[in-house]
Amino acid sequence: MIPIEYFLVLSAILFGIGLIGVLSRRSAILILMSVELMLAAVSINFIAFASYLDSDAFTGLIFALFVITVAAAEVGLALGIVLRLFKERRTANVDEASLMRW
Amino acid sequence: MTDLSGQLLDFDYSLVLPEIIAVLFAMIVVGADAFKVQLKLPSQIALALTIVGIVCALVSSLTIGLNHDGNFAGLIILDSFTTFFRVLFYGVTLTIVLGSHEYISKYVSHIGEFYGLLILATLGAVLMASAGELLTAYLGIELLSFSLYIAVSLTKGDLRSNEASLKYVLLGGVASASLLYGLSLLYGVSGSTDYSEIAAALSGSVSDLEPTLLLGLVMIIVGLGFKASAVPFHMWTPDAYEGAPIPVTAYLSATSKAATVAILLRWFGGPLLPIAGDWQMIFSALAVATMVVGNLVALQQTNIKRLLAYSSIGQMGYMLMAVVAVGSGYVDIATSGVLVHLAGYIITNILVFVGVTHFFNNEESEEISAFKGLAQTSPYLALLITAGLFSLAGMPLLVGFFTKFILFQAIVSAGHLGLVVVAVVASTVSLYYYLMVIRQMYLYEPEDSSKKLSVTTSGYLTTLVLFIAMVVLGLWGAPLYAVADTAATSLF
Amino acid sequence: MFDRLPLPSQFDRVIITGGIVVGLIGVPFGIAMVTLVVLGIITAPEMVFFVAALVILLGAVGCVLLPNIVHAALSLTATLIGVAAVYLLLLSEFLALVQVLVYGGGVVLLLLFGLMMTNAHEDPIVTDGSQKPIALLLGSLLIGTFIALLISAQWGDPVAQIVPFDVFGERLFREFTVPIIVVAVLLDVAITGALINVQAQEESPPEEVLE
Repeated sequence: MIPIEYFLVLSAILFGIGLIGVLSRRSAILILMSVELMLAAVSINFIAFASYLDSDAFTGLIFALFVITVAAAEVGLALGIVLRLFKERRTANVDEASLMRW
Repeated sequence: MTDLSGQLLDFDYSLVLPEIIAVLFAMIVVGADAFKVQLKLPSQIALALTIVGIVCALVSSLTIGLNHDGNFAGLIILDSFTTFFRVLFYGVTLTIVLGSHEYISKYVSHIGEFYGLLILATLGAVLMASAGELLTAYLGIELLSFSLYIAVSLTKGDLRSNEASLKYVLLGGVASASLLYGLSLLYGVSGSTDYSEIAAALSGSVSDLEPTLLLGLVMIIVGLGFKASAVPFHMWTPDAYEGAPIPVTAYLSATSKAATVAILLRWFGGPLLPIAGDWQMIFSALAVATMVVGNLVALQQTNIKRLLAYSSIGQMGYMLMAVVAVGSGYVDIATSGVLVHLAGYIITNILVFVGVTHFFNNEESEEISAFKGLAQTSPYLALLITAGLFSLAGMPLLVGFFTKFILFQAIVSAGHLGLVVVAVVASTVSLYYYLMVIRQMYLYEPEDSSKKLSVTTSGYLTTLVLFIAMVVLGLWGAPLYAVADTAATSLF
Repeated sequence: MFDRLPLPSQFDRVIITGGIVVGLIGVPFGIAMVTLVVLGIITAPEMVFFVAALVILLGAVGCVLLPNIVHAALSLTATLIGVAAVYLLLLSEFLALVQVLVYGGGVVLLLLFGLMMTNAHEDPIVTDGSQKPIALLLGSLLIGTFIALLISAQWGDPVAQIVPFDVFGERLFREFTVPIIVVAVLLDVAITGALINVQAQEESPPEEVLE
């Protein structure tokens, strides 16, 4: 059996890489992709805990299923917003969308 | 009722009747608005259906809430806490729709979808307040956030709207990821997503998993801090507020805030209470930072929406103090204190926003300098906004003073005098920037003094009700306190 | 030889890059893994885990660091497929299936469409923000802290078991009725939102701010 720490460490690294992407990228779509990495890390966590800790209550699997669903919906929604930004201003970079100061 | 394999299903659908009504009406509103030309429906059909739907939901939540407690398959808890927030949320949506439908039909694109989203956002907020386990609560958070991401982007012909929405959706996504990471660790430590089972698991010895639990807590607080716009996670708030249509700004500052407070109370006053020592200091720091930064940055704002955004951040700081008091074991008084303050804050804030909406309908400007001489061009609006701002600052005789007093007193009796000192200083600072707006209205001459601003009948009606509530509750707040106290008792 | 393939030039580069990555990192790594298994130092599941972890992490690093956004999207695909392999290792076939279908099939396609409809078709090379060094520093610190906290914990004994599809479905629809309905509403909201945002709006603002 693989120790659960392996999975937790993998997901921690994946989450951190996702955060690096969110902080360093300028293109809104690339930021979205980085957020997907973070959510994948979360799913790994949930499934690892569900299969290692819960003998019969595998709620974590169900939680992960919903995380995947919500993440997919969020991509669709956010892409709509990004496309509109591109249509209105010919850019998809977050730092060029600066009518308001941050 | 049994399922196909003959096993008993004990779903009491009457407990979630208000939500069922809300979803149905949201769908009907969107559908009716889309086909109103073909079906020869009146142009205001979306508005009418929205009002009918919310009134039905409001009435049914009152009837159900007063008659029985219970839970729906362990996923939704129905107690007086839930009823309090249900009535509050549906009431807020109804008031905002009634008070600003002229604005919505003039300055908001996709009206049918807008009303539908507003109802569904309310549904998400109700789920946040009533969930009995983490998954339902999380989906409630996402439903509220998703609806608001879109609602923020619907200002007609304003490029800032889309930009605000983009910033909101990206930062909201990161916040959700952080919250989920925390929840996954919490699930790993406690082995369950059910509030009562988590509380039981955490009351036992978890010292082996202490570091993981701490990490999970921090991630949860970061995620919720974003949703609550607590400093330092408040960066999206002013932009989202500025770009959004004014009714959505009002909604963000009322329902979105209140739902976050509800979930904070449910989580930190319930399943996470056994490990209060771990999170109490974090919340103290957040509360102080939020109060100080929110109120100080508000001083240099020139746009009324941004000013109110920072003011609402400051108000959030006061409510975060209550979470600290909850951690000291004073769940009952801290909760009733924060519920009283929340109700008072929401009444006042919506009053101010409805006033600003009607001002905008006439002047099409959100700059504070545009309020110059409002006392002459529209004495009624000037009086409303002044009274509202004074109440937000906590002046006596208005509801803001009473609720702040109750909240601060609860926190002092929980033994956090230091926090209250900061809060009182922060409120004094807040009086200064509220007075800057009031000064524009009363001390300057209007640019065109012959111009008179008009307020519609529904505008008069809504503002008058809110104004009377604000004054009466300020003078005689006992009923509000009694209601909040009943709601608070069901939490522990 | 790539000149003769009827592929856009971007994909040529993808094939070359992919080949180099597999050749330089994958092959030695694979040989090392197999050797370790043969020597009995690690078990076969652990070998699969390490291979999957390598794919996931390389893909993730590529996704956040590659300057070409199409390459970044493709390396995201690698990560997500690797994640599906990890789900299989954790004995949850159903979620692995969902992961491949939803992410590999849906989300990546959607993201690629999004990229193509914005700037990718003109100029796929993006520059990152000036805060990149800070981001790298912060991210590394965060990863370090996470790992330190996570491995210091004492976890119980593993009890991994396979959850049959039918038990999973029964639990899902019996005990999580409300989330199922709420997620349906949520998808509805997302679709509505995406539609009204991309819809051609007659009231969209004049193009004065453009260019």
